[in-house]
Amino acid sequence: MNVLNTFLFVAFPYVALTVFVVGVIYRYRQKGFTVSSLSSQFLEGNKLFWGTIPFHIGILVVFFGHLTAFLLPRATLAWNSIPVRLIILEVTAFVFGATVLVGLVSLMLRRITSARIRAVTTRMDIAIELLLLAQVVLGLWIALGYRWGASWFAADLSPYLMSLVTLGPETEAVFALPWVIKLHIVGAFAILFMVPFTRLMHFIVAPLHYIVRPYQQVIWNWDRKVIRDPGTPWSRARPNNN
Amino acid sequence: MRRVTSLVGLTTLWLGAATGGATAQTSQELFQTRCTVCHTIGGGKLVGPDLQGVAERRSEDWIIRFVQHSQQLVQSGDPDAVALFEEFNGIPMPDQSLSEREIRGIIDYIVGGSSTAPAEPPPIEQATAEQILLGQALFQGKTRFANSGPTCNSCHDVINDAVIGGGVLARELTTVFSRLGGPGVRAILGSPPFPVMQRAYRDKPLTDDEVVALVGFLQQADAEQPLHQPRDYGMGLLGAGVVGTVLLLGLYSLMWRGRLRGSVNQSIYDRQITSI
Repeated sequence: MNVLNTFLFVAFPYVALTVFVVGVIYRYRQKGFTVSSLSSQFLEGNKLFWGTIPFHIGILVVFFGHLTAFLLPRATLAWNSIPVRLIILEVTAFVFGATVLVGLVSLMLRRITSARIRAVTTRMDIAIELLLLAQVVLGLWIALGYRWGASWFAADLSPYLMSLVTLGPETEAVFALPWVIKLHIVGAFAILFMVPFTRLMHFIVAPLHYIVRPYQQVIWNWDRKVIRDPGTPWSRARPNNN
Repeated sequence: MRRVTSLVGLTTLWLGAATGGATAQTSQELFQTRCTVCHTIGGGKLVGPDLQGVAERRSEDWIIRFVQHSQQLVQSGDPDAVALFEEFNGIPMPDQSLSEREIRGIIDYIVGGSSTAPAEPPPIEQATAEQILLGQALFQGKTRFANSGPTCNSCHDVINDAVIGGGVLARELTTVFSRLGGPGVRAILGSPPFPVMQRAYRDKPLTDDEVVALVGFLQQADAEQPLHQPRDYGMGLLGAGVVGTVLLLGLYSLMWRGRLRGSVNQSIYDRQITSI
């Protein structure tokens, strides 16, 4: 059991991190044009809204929440020391986590039900979606079943993750955690491992400048009625389909 | 030359005696600070067993392993460790960060000192009403621990209307006082035997005053348990989560009310299909 624990919480994190760094650099340099999630908004737009918006906003909030507790454990514990603040934090995190689940499930349903989306789906898309689904379900399960995770994460998991960063893994506390939490930790490193092989690469090239970019104006500077008229000189043949 | 030799000999003797004396004193001090909370020598059972004659009952190696990692020994199925664990109501002995040399020193102290001076447990300080209030505030974090340790309710719940629902990662503590008794609770708070709790308080130990206050609060919570009807925070969290999710989705819909309802080129596709 200890061998398995050591593999999952010491060896695997380092393997995942190495694969992530080397893989991302390799793919970016060798196959730079594949670093994208290939928008499918042209193919289907309505169902996309109810998937992508709750999923992306939710996962960003949840991810940065985990990151804050990891980097600032003392501040997190100080924040949580007032019960009302703890409850507000936990409910907020749970709500955004739940919207990740809603978004992800609706994106998966869209992928199954829309023929156009099925046509552009790869095996790795399905693999990463299933992995994310498991991770989100485990996260919500932990939030409800092992509540006040915001506090015990800062007290126990933050030191563990920091010990991985400083190359002196301290694993006794992690080994003693319930298996649901352990699976969630392993899932996080598995997702990191999968980044170079999947569409998750797109977060490397997130178009952050869009947020501050001025609106782009698209102006049709010709008369659309005239150009659609078959009699106009530059149209050589009368279109027969529209 | 002879003088030098005798001087060296004398110095060696003196150093040896001094070091020996220091070790004995340290072992006694160690015993007083680390062990007497739960153990006596010839004074009968306390939280843990009477240690008189322990060196005859168990091997030195076994004692060292048990003192350093009692739970590992219990979990590995060692019959003596399991029997002890069961005999003392499943109260785990806190892992002691003592070296093998220090433990051997303490064993020697027990062997040597048992016949003359049985150790007495320190008197249990009874918490005052003020301390109980402090314990209540410490338990849920309204008053922070002096060394910035995490609040108890991060992981533990206790049925008491005065505090919010605690965490459910670790054991529920409402009846901990009657299960373990004051000395047991004090011992665990002073030197946690559980890896998760150990890590959480490693550089942030509780002070003696905080331990007394918390024990007082837990004693009161245990005694007053039937009078309290706590809310179900688990269901509350789920309910708030569901309501919050619906509201948030509604907000998104409102924020993006001008969104395209179909794909950008839907009308072109439709036109082509109808003209075929």
